[in-house]
Amino acid sequence: MRRRPGVAGLQSEAVLRGQYKALGENVARIRMDLMKDQLSTFRNQLEDFARKHKNDIKKNPVFRAQFHSMCATCGVDPLASNKGFWAELLGIGDFYYELGVQIVDICLATRSHNGGLIDLGELCSLLSKKRRALREPISEDDCRRAISKLEILGSGFEVFTIGKKKMVRSVPTELNKDHNHILEIAQARGYVTIEDVENELNWPSGRAVDSLELLLKEGLAMVDDGHSDGKRRYWFPCIGSMSSDAIDAESEYNL
Amino acid sequence: MGDDFKWPYFFNYPPYFTLQPVKDTRDKQIQLWKELILKYCKHNKIFFIHLEDDIPLFFNASIDRKLTYEARQLFVGALVSEGRAEWMDKAHRKCLVHWRKVQDWAEVILQFARDNGMEDGVMTIDEIRLGDETRGTDLAGIDKVVLIRALKLLEQRGKVAMFKGKSEDDEGVKFSAQL
Repeated sequence: MRRRPGVAGLQSEAVLRGQYKALGENVARIRMDLMKDQLSTFRNQLEDFARKHKNDIKKNPVFRAQFHSMCATCGVDPLASNKGFWAELLGIGDFYYELGVQIVDICLATRSHNGGLIDLGELCSLLSKKRRALREPISEDDCRRAISKLEILGSGFEVFTIGKKKMVRSVPTELNKDHNHILEIAQARGYVTIEDVENELNWPSGRAVDSLELLLKEGLAMVDDGHSDGKRRYWFPCIGSMSSDAIDAESEYNL
Repeated sequence: MGDDFKWPYFFNYPPYFTLQPVKDTRDKQIQLWKELILKYCKHNKIFFIHLEDDIPLFFNASIDRKLTYEARQLFVGALVSEGRAEWMDKAHRKCLVHWRKVQDWAEVILQFARDNGMEDGVMTIDEIRLGDETRGTDLAGIDKVVLIRALKLLEQRGKVAMFKGKSEDDEGVKFSAQL
């Protein structure tokens, strides 16, 4: 078709553009409504689901973790507030606040022993021990969620990874890469010697000594000069399962 | 003796056998050892320790660690400064461990006497320490020095009267009619 020149042509083009725009907006609105619909359906179903499986969520840590990841996918955070539907239905906020308080307890109780650094698995088993009477198993996922709530308080609680292990830090000490490397080497036997560190990481001698000195000062390491080979060993109480015994000991050692 | 003693966790952790250079860590270490020494002596009814002896308290063969003499002196010294132990010589080689305080021993004696109707009765020192009457009680095997101190305390309170016999074996006490 030959394009007609003139004002009429321009006018009809403008009208056409207006119509396209209106149509486009219409489509977008319909889509939006549909999305909102779907989302609210999803939310409802999630709530139905939560209501239906309330007990499983409360009692089964694996189920609970899966439920959390499902909530995260659709932008619902059952822990965001202690008020409202989720808290009322599941009491899930209280659950994690309670865990948080108990985690702080454990970290404080073991701090003098491990310098404020504890293995996540270790923490978790201590937590389970503490909650033995409740008969509600706790998973590492639960621990991490509770700790992430503590992070908001700015109290220096943090989960981080060293080698294959997850560690929980409850003191504001900033560990640098060097310290993390040393802790990683120590995971094999629970201790390192200066030689171990130098050989493993190809460090000049001053660097290893400096890092180890800081770890000592922070209470994260202890020296051991008792081995027959005469080499000083640096032990890390946060590695290994000494902490749980330490708590037992503290409760029973009242002469 | 001591077979069923439950060693604390730190006894199997090598660095606790080396004096820690960092103060906070060392304070914690001293605290743990003080408690262990008292508990171990109580469990085994040990009154005197010789710091030079490698008794099981100072030596863990399973991890091949031994407390140095310096560490032993420091830990026991900390107990001495709290009145829970006493040096028996100037060189600080031998000490008396008060895992039960003398005044608490006095109470134990009093309770034993009440339970056994000893009002107005007489017992020798050796009977209390080694006799049939006290067998199986806390008093069995009590050290003589400690026992005499506890009895003197009771004497001050008018609960017993101590007497000396012809020989040292006859040393003893007469319990008051009003215990």
